[in-house]
Amino acid sequence: MTTSKAYVFDIKRFAVHDGYGIRTTIFFKGCPLRCKWCQNPEGLETKPKVLWFEKNCIHCRLCEKASMPHQMNYAERPYFNKNYSGDFDNLVHICPSSAIRYDSTSYTVEELISKIEEDRVFFKRNGGVTFSGGEPFLQRDFLVDILKECKKRGIHTAIESSFYADLELVKQVVPYLDLIFADLKVFDEIDHKAMTGVSNQKILNNIEYLLTSEHKDKVIIRTPLIPGYNSTKKNLSQISNFISSLYPKVKYELLNYNPLASSKYDLVGIEYEPGKLKPFTLDELEMFKNIVKEAGTKNIIEV
Amino acid sequence: MAKLKNNERIEILKKKMLEAPRYASIEQARIITRVYKENEELSTPKKRALSLAAALRELEIGVEPEELIVGNRTKGVRYGVVFPESGCSWIDREFETLPTRDQDKFLVRDEDIKEFRETIYPYWKGRSMEDVIRHNYGEKIDEIAKVVKINQKDHAQGHICPDTEMWLHLGINGLIDKIHQKQKKCKSEQEEFYECTLIVLDGVKDFMKRYHDHIYGMLDAVDGQYRESLQNVADICLALTQRAPETFHEALQSLWFLFVVLHMESNASSFSPGRMDQYLYPYYRSDIASGYMTRQKALELMECLWLKFNQIVYLRNKNSAKYFAGFPIGFNVAIGGLDQDGNDTYNDLSLLCLDAQYDLGLPQPNLSVRLNKNSSHELMQEAIKVVAKGSGMPQFFNDEAIVHAMHEDLGIDYKDALNYAIVGCVELTTHGNNLGWSDAAMFNFNKVLELTLNNGVCLLTDKKIGLDLGNLETYETFEDLEVAFKKQIDYFIEEMMKAEVVVEKAHQDCLPTAFLSCVIDDCIDNGMDVTRGGAKYNLSGIQMIQVANLADSLAALKKLVYDENRISKHELLSALQVDFKGHEITQTMLLNKVEKYGNDVAWVDELGAKWAMYFRSRMKDYTNYRGGKYHTGMYTVSAHVPMGENVGASPDGRNAKTPLADGGLSAVYGRDMSGPTAVLKSVSRISNSCTTNGGLLNMKFLPEFFNTQSGPDKFEDFLRAFIDLKVCHIQFNVVRKEDLLDAKVHPENHRSLTIRVAGYTAYFVELAGKLQDEIIERTSYDHI
Repeated sequence: MTTSKAYVFDIKRFAVHDGYGIRTTIFFKGCPLRCKWCQNPEGLETKPKVLWFEKNCIHCRLCEKASMPHQMNYAERPYFNKNYSGDFDNLVHICPSSAIRYDSTSYTVEELISKIEEDRVFFKRNGGVTFSGGEPFLQRDFLVDILKECKKRGIHTAIESSFYADLELVKQVVPYLDLIFADLKVFDEIDHKAMTGVSNQKILNNIEYLLTSEHKDKVIIRTPLIPGYNSTKKNLSQISNFISSLYPKVKYELLNYNPLASSKYDLVGIEYEPGKLKPFTLDELEMFKNIVKEAGTKNIIEV
Repeated sequence: MAKLKNNERIEILKKKMLEAPRYASIEQARIITRVYKENEELSTPKKRALSLAAALRELEIGVEPEELIVGNRTKGVRYGVVFPESGCSWIDREFETLPTRDQDKFLVRDEDIKEFRETIYPYWKGRSMEDVIRHNYGEKIDEIAKVVKINQKDHAQGHICPDTEMWLHLGINGLIDKIHQKQKKCKSEQEEFYECTLIVLDGVKDFMKRYHDHIYGMLDAVDGQYRESLQNVADICLALTQRAPETFHEALQSLWFLFVVLHMESNASSFSPGRMDQYLYPYYRSDIASGYMTRQKALELMECLWLKFNQIVYLRNKNSAKYFAGFPIGFNVAIGGLDQDGNDTYNDLSLLCLDAQYDLGLPQPNLSVRLNKNSSHELMQEAIKVVAKGSGMPQFFNDEAIVHAMHEDLGIDYKDALNYAIVGCVELTTHGNNLGWSDAAMFNFNKVLELTLNNGVCLLTDKKIGLDLGNLETYETFEDLEVAFKKQIDYFIEEMMKAEVVVEKAHQDCLPTAFLSCVIDDCIDNGMDVTRGGAKYNLSGIQMIQVANLADSLAALKKLVYDENRISKHELLSALQVDFKGHEITQTMLLNKVEKYGNDVAWVDELGAKWAMYFRSRMKDYTNYRGGKYHTGMYTVSAHVPMGENVGASPDGRNAKTPLADGGLSAVYGRDMSGPTAVLKSVSRISNSCTTNGGLLNMKFLPEFFNTQSGPDKFEDFLRAFIDLKVCHIQFNVVRKEDLLDAKVHPENHRSLTIRVAGYTAYFVELAGKLQDEIIERTSYDHI
């Protein structure tokens, strides 16, 4: 087992939207993609970051007193020096309101498995653990080890991933997965690069592998519908056509846009490019489903 | 679900009930006072029996043409009944303000106030049970009031599940015959008891007959569709005076008469019907099988009874009405659960109870579902549909947590434990053979801790009310503090028990209850009134208040003061003494720098569990005045607010006089930050021995949860884990728009409220204002 640690920016117990039953979802930090509409912007960077939560701060200035030279300065609120070479443990510790917090916590495989075990009694029927992010494949060996450990203990495992990963790693991981959510956001390679920052060649290769392998029935392909970005007839038809030609019975889920995603952008100090978008109406969703069906994918599901 | 579609009868009855003006009534008080005055030479049991019989014969009665189930204790519906024997000094003080007070208003008639003041109140002054207790022990009770609230001082015993099965099986004549048999061979000290029971049962028979006569008197004026059904009701009333009920309709009517009379005798809260789906099922099955009744007809009858459960309300004083707002009276109906062989059981009638609740959505009955590891998918899913409507009902009880603890810890016969029912809110009882005295007292752990930390001196009044064992600065180690805490608890337990004896004795002396004794086993066999210990089980329940705050306070003391030394003893004690004024950093640390109960953090949860268990084990050293056992419960309903008002600033960071945690098992508002599964895990660390008198866990869910395809299934998964974890009780409030609006204004009370935001779940109070508004906008019941 690896002695490495993984940074986790959230552990969500009682997750009911990330697969079957009641689940614990592990959000790993770090993602190779930069989707314009990213819903978890705090999960993008690989390295932990110290944050300041305005709503919690009581402006006692204990952080200022505890600060090492060049660690931070206080001008009506703490500003942390991004170039500071050490950690910020002293500030996180001293802050009485926990307004100063790291955005993530590091876990060993053992520590993480014991967090997962906490809700074991709730997994009994269909539930289990879901690895999400960020991009879980970035964790490489850690991901393999934690999955092996889960299977050893009989815990149902799921992954939510962009599948922007090396095929060899994918092949190594999927035997330990019971449920696979694979995002396919944009089919056209140029558009994919424009909207997510990376080529989709690896992703398409991996999906081809998944849908032609013995694991194909564990797979659910997902497309988040982002108004003005990927929710075009052309894109959905292409995706539908691609996946159904690989496996006619492929499970496919369309996720409606959720406007509340923008709320975390202020916190991490990134601008939310899509601005104010509205989710699609039921009628529009029905229309999208019809497009998908016409293009070949019949098995449209809702988890 | 089979709904009653556009049922005009139910619509009319519901409308009439909700629109009828509500009065405070002195009618029964007048009768009781007269009978007492006329019979001064007789014993109290006799006077009580005669005055109930007189009320049964004289009180004005009323019937609506649409009714299928008749009977009430006043002619008007939802009247507040003034009941002088138990205590009426508050009525003397508050009579004029009843129509204008903030909560639970009643109209009053000027002539009633005058009569009450001139002829009723003067007679009872000094004689009512309330006055007797105050005279004998009032000062002592007041002295400990901030720590131990002694209950049952001004009303008769409620929170009782009568032997409904026997009542239906024997019928009134069967019951009278049984008493005659006993009377023939009785000892002299039993004679009066049997005489009293016969006096009241004779009155009950007349009461039933009066409804028959009353209906025949009004029939000519009723025409159309309701005439025939009304005449049928009259015939049922007459039949019930002659024989035991035979049909489902007759059984329901008989059952309702039983509860009306129990309320007339005792005017107490929470006489509960218990496991209706079990004992009424033979009547239902036989009428359905013979084709005499359809399922729709049965549902209509059930809904008529459901309406009746809402027609008896309890007149409370201003303070009490604030905390028990909305006239709750606790007709608790329990469906499902284990049968006598230990197998899961439910039937069509269980589902009908849920249907009726779904249709009517009224506050009564208080519907409870008993669950166990073999509970059916069907019953759970039907119950979840009702939960999703958001009324907080049904609530769920866990056989796996309750039956064993009742049997092992309380020595309840296994078959009685299997057949447990719920009375009032969440109080547990055996069925038909228990005077459970479930709300004997509330014991405030947090006040005891306060006194332990501060030389026995109250932080709010500076008066010494506890033992002086030192203070936080003099306890060198956390263990020293715990030793002192234990001594302080022991002291107040001892004081509490002395008061309990006085209260129970006053009930025996002032409020013997012959009718109730007829329907509680084994009073008739023992020839002994229920207040004297005639019942098979004679329990007394003490509520432990509130373990969540206690665990949080002890955890803060242990970690921040003793282990890590981040807050000095002097600093903390000084901060508590001034309610954290000028000590905001300390308060903020207490709130944020130590783990809290309700987050599945074992060492914190166990601090609470340990003291609850200690208190529970001390109960074994005492026997109550009826010769029964003391045990404990962990529920407050809404008393966490007044109980909090008694407690100064506490080490968990809570300000003086602010509410304690709600519920009883729940975490402090907003401190359960790890979601519902973590709450259940934390609660499961409290031994079920501590909640044989009942426990209460509140949980909130967003309506959108039930709105997805898989929502109800996942909810069932959650309930099944609740069963596996052996937590005794859970109830679900569905978050409403008003909650979210309140969370915007008072975020500190809603810190744990989470909202699904795209790929993750966020804390509502941490979202920006405009996003909060969007969520508020989408949270509406129209989607369900």
